[in-house]
Amino acid sequence: MRRSMSILTGLAAILAILPFTGFPASYEALLYLIFLWTTLAVSWNILSGFSGYFSFGHGAFFGIGMYTTGYLSTKMGLPFLATLPIAGLLSAAFAALIGAIAFRVHSVRGELFSLLTLAATFVIATIILNTSIDGGSGIYMSAVTVPSLAPTPSGTLYLLALLVTFATLLIALLVYHSRFGTGLFAIHDDEDAAEVMGVPTFRFKLAALVISSALAGVIGGVNALFVSYLTTVETFNVLTPLTVVLMAVLGGTRHWAGPAIGATAITLLLYSFTGGDSAVVGKIVMGVLLIAVILFMPNGLLGRLAVRRNRPRSADIAAVPERRAVVTQGSGEAAVLLRTSKLAKSFNGIHALRGVDVEVRRGEILGLLGPNGSGKSTFINVVSGHYLATAGTAVLRRDRISTLPAHRVARCGVSRTYQIPRPFSGLTVLENVALTAMFGVAQLGRAEAEAEAWKWLGFTGLAQHAAALPDALNLHQRKFLEFARALASGADLLMLDEVLSGLTPSEIDNAVEMIRRIRDQGTTIIFVEHVMRAVHALCDRVVVFNRGEVLASGAPGEVLSRPEVITAYLGRKDQTVDTAPASAPGEIEASLAA
Amino acid sequence: MTSFNRRDFIATVGSLAAIAPLGALAQKPTGQPIRVGGSLALTGGLASLGLIHKLVGEMYVEQLNQRGGLLGRPVEWVLKDDQSRIDLTRTLYEQLVNSDKVDLLIGPFGTGAILSAMGVAQRYNKAIVHHTFGIPELAKYDQQFASWALGASPEVTMPKNVLDALGSVGKTPKTIAVVTSKFPSVQFIAIGARKEAEKRGIKEVLYLEWEFGNREFGSIAGRIKAADPDLIWVGGNALDGNQLLDALKKIDYQPRNHFHQYPSPGPLAAAPEGNNALTVTIFENHSPFTDTPAAAAFAKGFKERAKAANLPYTEPETQAAASYAAWQLIEAAVTATKSIDDKTLSTWLRANTVETVAGKLRFNGPNNTGDDLNRIKQVQGGAWKTVWPAAYATSGTRLIAN
Amino acid sequence: MDFPPIALLGQAVVNGIFAGAVYALLGLGLSLSWGLLRQINLSVFAIALSSGYLTYEMSSRGFDILLALLILPPLFFGLGVALQWGLERFKVASFNSLLITFGLTIIVEAVLQLIWTADVRRVESHYSDIKLRFADLFFPAPELIALALAVAVSLALWQVSRRTDIGKAMRAAAEDPAMAAAFGIDQNGLALILGGVDAAVAALGGIGIALVYTLAPSQIYGWLGVVFACVMLGGLARPLGPLIAGCAIGIVEALTMTVASPSWAPLVSFSLLLVVLLARPGRA
Repeated sequence: MRRSMSILTGLAAILAILPFTGFPASYEALLYLIFLWTTLAVSWNILSGFSGYFSFGHGAFFGIGMYTTGYLSTKMGLPFLATLPIAGLLSAAFAALIGAIAFRVHSVRGELFSLLTLAATFVIATIILNTSIDGGSGIYMSAVTVPSLAPTPSGTLYLLALLVTFATLLIALLVYHSRFGTGLFAIHDDEDAAEVMGVPTFRFKLAALVISSALAGVIGGVNALFVSYLTTVETFNVLTPLTVVLMAVLGGTRHWAGPAIGATAITLLLYSFTGGDSAVVGKIVMGVLLIAVILFMPNGLLGRLAVRRNRPRSADIAAVPERRAVVTQGSGEAAVLLRTSKLAKSFNGIHALRGVDVEVRRGEILGLLGPNGSGKSTFINVVSGHYLATAGTAVLRRDRISTLPAHRVARCGVSRTYQIPRPFSGLTVLENVALTAMFGVAQLGRAEAEAEAWKWLGFTGLAQHAAALPDALNLHQRKFLEFARALASGADLLMLDEVLSGLTPSEIDNAVEMIRRIRDQGTTIIFVEHVMRAVHALCDRVVVFNRGEVLASGAPGEVLSRPEVITAYLGRKDQTVDTAPASAPGEIEASLAA
Repeated sequence: MTSFNRRDFIATVGSLAAIAPLGALAQKPTGQPIRVGGSLALTGGLASLGLIHKLVGEMYVEQLNQRGGLLGRPVEWVLKDDQSRIDLTRTLYEQLVNSDKVDLLIGPFGTGAILSAMGVAQRYNKAIVHHTFGIPELAKYDQQFASWALGASPEVTMPKNVLDALGSVGKTPKTIAVVTSKFPSVQFIAIGARKEAEKRGIKEVLYLEWEFGNREFGSIAGRIKAADPDLIWVGGNALDGNQLLDALKKIDYQPRNHFHQYPSPGPLAAAPEGNNALTVTIFENHSPFTDTPAAAAFAKGFKERAKAANLPYTEPETQAAASYAAWQLIEAAVTATKSIDDKTLSTWLRANTVETVAGKLRFNGPNNTGDDLNRIKQVQGGAWKTVWPAAYATSGTRLIAN
Repeated sequence: MDFPPIALLGQAVVNGIFAGAVYALLGLGLSLSWGLLRQINLSVFAIALSSGYLTYEMSSRGFDILLALLILPPLFFGLGVALQWGLERFKVASFNSLLITFGLTIIVEAVLQLIWTADVRRVESHYSDIKLRFADLFFPAPELIALALAVAVSLALWQVSRRTDIGKAMRAAAEDPAMAAAFGIDQNGLALILGGVDAAVAALGGIGIALVYTLAPSQIYGWLGVVFACVMLGGLARPLGPLIAGCAIGIVEALTMTVASPSWAPLVSFSLLLVVLLARPGRA
């Protein structure tokens, strides 16, 4: 990152000197256009590229900035420079309003958000057109004095644009390498999982939107003086947001500088076809080029660069992670870590959980059993905060977590794995694990989080895959990635949702051993499972759900031979569930310890 | 007034233009070309008008070079496409001045683009002659010259002309509906029409605005029909008027009198519902506009080129004439002052009247404006006929008013 | 301000429905490919304008417009299949499809300008003189034709989607491509057919535009906002969605134009859209 920053600063410095060297002013104007579109594309990307929420409203924020400067500097007589921060603020405020409403609504994802932002553009344009801000006559800025930051007025605008562009690129770079950026990328890949892993998704999306729009607003303000005649038709043209998206995707949305490359390329391309005779044909050529690039470089020009490389540091691999609080495995005296009281969840009339009371004691492995559809996964989803409980409470230590948003629940010390692994496909294995270290209980900084991640990768045997993307792992490895990710959060309570499903017998043995080691570290585990020998091998107690209610609880051997439990699973009284392990517990442990 | 007699000057330009077909007699221009630089919207939303200007410019420069160029030197037109974007317009004009280092500037068309170019011209103290600028009061630069003579206050003079025209056949309207697009160069004149109507005691029965680019005229038509005005003032561009008239036809309403701001001339004349539509014009392809040899040659030449370029409407009118006149202004000033120095040219233009196909242009009013030279024409029998003032009316034509 | 008479309001509703018809034809293709193929196919607008221009050309050479109904949809069906084939071949996904079709749109716009110049064109047909009148309300023929087309196509697609095997196959493939393939559903074949259908419907939309509105190359983009709105409001891949949503938006705009200053119309329709999108439980 330091290297990128110094390159950026050096480039900016060179470009800043140009107006003072007698550089031809026509290039100033062309460079201005490049700066303008670079700012727009890079700022757009901070929200839309990183988090995946494609906004078609960038024209609106840009336009608000233009009209703020236009209105304040002409009708209110404010000096031009003073209007720029106001332009940024107003755009940001408008974006905050949109975001606060849109992001709260859970169903607003993907295309819906795109349309919302597009619709907002038309709304803003119409308001400006029909009120005294523009009113139809346009705003003419000829009377506004251009500050003399450079020998010529166009030099001043050039410098201002350069400044804004530099700031934008710098911000994009910083975000890209920050926790904030990792959170955004996680949101991009799997927002729900990100939230459950502790990423405050609402806050992050809103922040990204606000930053993105503020920058667009400021460059809009500068542009108002550049074009010097504002009309709503020109300013809120639908081609502007489309072009911004095009530029960013062309350059590569997963890289902070991708949009800058795309913006430069397209601006130069458009500019090279301004000769009078080639105008129309030039458009055709441009269309063809665009298609060619997208077809052959689907991730954009900088797409390949976006996958960051992490080299294994051997020192960290072998280390056995320490736990913050080593808790002894207690018996009847053990403190209760989680207690749910009449916890219920319904979906449109389907009662998935009908008021369950469950106690989880510190340091134990509690088996959560039951036939399919009995509410086990729902229970996990409610406790982790993925769903909001319809009734009842869940209390972790002394905190009522059933009313908290999922990312806060994660911070309190709850983590989970998914039955079908949901790694963040755009982040490397290392980044996946580091993410929970950053956003979980521990709330570590980036460097420490990565160190912590290395430890857990070592623990789960994934260290040599650290730089790989999750797609390169097989199912077994991805399950272990789920483990590592859940563990790195530093959670006290780990909920495993059918983590053994789909594994071969030897992989199951491996996993059982892993789980035991995890418990020995002091983590309390809720273990949803169907593989009975694992249940017998690991669980201190089991709770059986049936149709959303607790059917039985107690020691595994005892509970599983109760008639009602057998009936619930099999529906017939005469069949016995496998009440004894295939081999004696001692045998399993002996074989694993070898 | 310079020592160069105005009448001599008109004669000179006229006869020079008349010799144009006899190219063999003219001196072949030699030496370094005089480069005139400008941009036009050749692609994008305004491109339909851009082509007209391109054809006219090409024609003029070709004929100019056949006549011996300017000051004995060949003339080269450095033309760029600003893609209907005013930020690009500004950049291109910067390039023309600094990089291409053209000698003279010629403006784009359209208010927004011209303002953009004007800003650049002002920064480098270059003169700029431009074509169709719709809002004279915004053009404050003292070296800018509009070839389309709207006068200083078209929002006053244009409604005045229209109402006077109707009054001249004894049909001053008693009620008026003003419906306009919120396009800057159109809206302020429509508002002026409201004021003028009020001054004359005409009752305004409807005032509506629509956003530029609107496609739905059904409700607007319905409200006009309900208001049933004597005169509809349509502040529209391009095919706004056609769409409105079509919508009125679909609800069985025929307007008694209707005036359109800046319609596309071809479609409005061709449509049956466009009958008796009024609009303004600077030039029409008949006497007295075509009385001078230069004007006749212009009209003929334009028609040929328009046909060859596959334009749907090939008659020369305001846009083409304004374009041609801009070149005439440049030629006149350069020839008279024997110089291509911007300051010299500007001083000369402000002090003289130039006879062009777009009328006798002068620039000594506020913001370098002159008179409002727009005449009124009307669709009669599927074709445009100039109807007012009488001196410009096609022979035997009277304004038809209801 | 006097409240407008009932007849005026009634006509506004009628006009709104007519506007919705054209939105529907343009939006159907977009909605289906977005919902079923996860591709955002901007080229429907380019196809529509191209079809409109061809209609114009036929009309100015003396052919009846209704002839266009017979010739153009099949022609564009073929083009649509070809385009879809290209997208499948290069495995273009989601937002990249938006960009590729955007590139195509730029090309088409330039080609249209090369052939027909940038001048705005209007089809003059005898149909615009024909109208039905019913109790103070007017129903002009061109608009009726467009409405008939929109309703027919929407209903047809709806029935096909529900009742026929192809329809069910497409919906299955949309929900779970891997599963559908495992059951033997030929997705590539389906995608090609769908691509063709989308283009054919868009071509009908273009004929609608030619009948009722004006044509200019740059107008390709003028339809974007409102058609996207119809598509999203109507729900992706729901055959009746664009028509119903289109009519809703059209009626709201027309009523606004009747009751208030017409320049406020976009504000009302898009604000309504915002409210509806935010208020209703997650669909799309």
